[in-house]
Amino acid sequence: MPMPHLLRYSRNRTTSVEQPTPGTLRAACRLQDNLMEAEVEITVGLPDLDITAVEGRILRDERGVCRGGLEALENAVGVRIGPGMAKIIKGLVGEDFPCRQLVFMVEECCHGVILYFTKDELQAVPDDPDEAREHFARLIRKNIRLYNRCAAFAPGSSITEGIEPPSGDTPS
Amino acid sequence: MLGFQRNKRVGIWTEGPHRLVAHGILDDDIYGLEVRMVVDPATREVRSVEGWWNRWTTPDCPLAAERLQDAVGVTIDDEDLARRLQRTVGRRGCRHFANILIECCHSAREAIDLLRYEKARESAPGLTFRGFLDPSRPPESAGGAAEAARPPAATEASGPHRTAALRPEDLTGPFIDLHVHTSPASPCSSAPVDDLIREAVRIGLDGICLTDHNHLWSPEDVEALKQKHGFLVLRGNEIITDQGDVVVFGLERDVRGIARLEDLREEVVRAGGFMIAAHPFRGFLTFGVDKLGLTPEKAMERKIFQYVDGVEILNGKVNAEENRFAGEVAGGLGRVLTGGSDAHEVEEVGQYATRLASPVRNEQDLIEALKTGRTAPVAFRREVSDARAEA
Repeated sequence: MPMPHLLRYSRNRTTSVEQPTPGTLRAACRLQDNLMEAEVEITVGLPDLDITAVEGRILRDERGVCRGGLEALENAVGVRIGPGMAKIIKGLVGEDFPCRQLVFMVEECCHGVILYFTKDELQAVPDDPDEAREHFARLIRKNIRLYNRCAAFAPGSSITEGIEPPSGDTPS
Repeated sequence: MLGFQRNKRVGIWTEGPHRLVAHGILDDDIYGLEVRMVVDPATREVRSVEGWWNRWTTPDCPLAAERLQDAVGVTIDDEDLARRLQRTVGRRGCRHFANILIECCHSAREAIDLLRYEKARESAPGLTFRGFLDPSRPPESAGGAAEAARPPAATEASGPHRTAALRPEDLTGPFIDLHVHTSPASPCSSAPVDDLIREAVRIGLDGICLTDHNHLWSPEDVEALKQKHGFLVLRGNEIITDQGDVVVFGLERDVRGIARLEDLREEVVRAGGFMIAAHPFRGFLTFGVDKLGLTPEKAMERKIFQYVDGVEILNGKVNAEENRFAGEVAGGLGRVLTGGSDAHEVEEVGQYATRLASPVRNEQDLIEALKTGRTAPVAFRREVSDARAEA
């Protein structure tokens, strides 16, 4: 029996976003675990947020499933980052794509791009909790799709107090 | 210069034979959170989850941690795992918690594979990891590895008198998906029959059997489909019995409601048909083999196995452990072994299929081919379709 508490498996995944030129973002996702090592990089055009290039690289694959036909990943070029993108990317790359991990890493890059912009938005949130609450309430009123998207924006939270649910959204 | 960075780390360790612990950290420029999740390696079920924030954004974000309990009871092999966790933990709690939980579940799955591989190597030191994962490995060798993740109580019984499964390459007949559902004939399916057939043709299957729930296709409709697509379409029926679901071929009666197994058997024998126990252990791991005390030998005594000709040992709607267990039981009983996708969506057809030993043009040919017992269940999409595409 191995020594208790020795790690039997570990995974590290890093996603980063940078802006190399005023009209371009580059997002990269790197994965390393006991069974796999891989990298995906996407280039995103601004201001449309459309994917203009995708590259995937398998450095190690103990399962041997991520082989052949990886160029289909490039079918994600042209997809605009935003709601529904994951489904579109999966559809374009194809259900038969041999490496689901790489597709997931493209999605992680896209989420990274969204968070890159979210971070910028959050710079404007006041430190004072009441003012912060009001800031987020205004955000929801402005974009009602955010209503009930998470616990903080759910009916009953202090942030959504006084906000009418969008039609079709029944508080539970 | 970096504008945003997210780091996720998962570490997994064991605490005795029944607890696999996953610790996940998500740390990025905006959020910092951690989860600690316990998985039962035998049932592959999430037993407990706790989580906490280190950094967050809105004053109400801390409310999200309690929704982590929605993940308790989830099976890490669930094909729909990511969507399920996003809908529950993500939508009601926080999508970043869901994100790291999904990462933990996937990692736990891989960790269990590694543990089983280590166990398998004790008896086969030369076994490679890819060789270990090869689904065409005979069930008896796979069984030993599977037992690595089971509690001792379930592994104490001696092995049954197993019959080795034939490999697809041992046979020359057609690959047929013996178990598919179409819409609207099966209310639970969303696969229109024409789309399903087109997909079956595309991936290279030689035929499919329409086995809608308690619904018998008319010979005329099926003949029309055959003509339209130039593809072998056969009629079957998945009948709900008091002992579980049974796929039946050769019965010209539209059975409604729940059938008594003995009655159904009598009728099928009279008709010269063939009965297959469908996904006989679906969901049994949910309860845990240890709690049920179920061994292959004990399972062989189940009534259903006395009344069927064959057992579906590869089914697309159950997890690998349940399929493997079915293989052990069917092999021990010497029943005919079959595979079928149990497709309810177009893209699921052909996940599993059965290779037969002789040509099949109609249901009668199929029944005769099945009765020879020379069948090879196969993970068709992965092992045949993808391999052909690569070649």
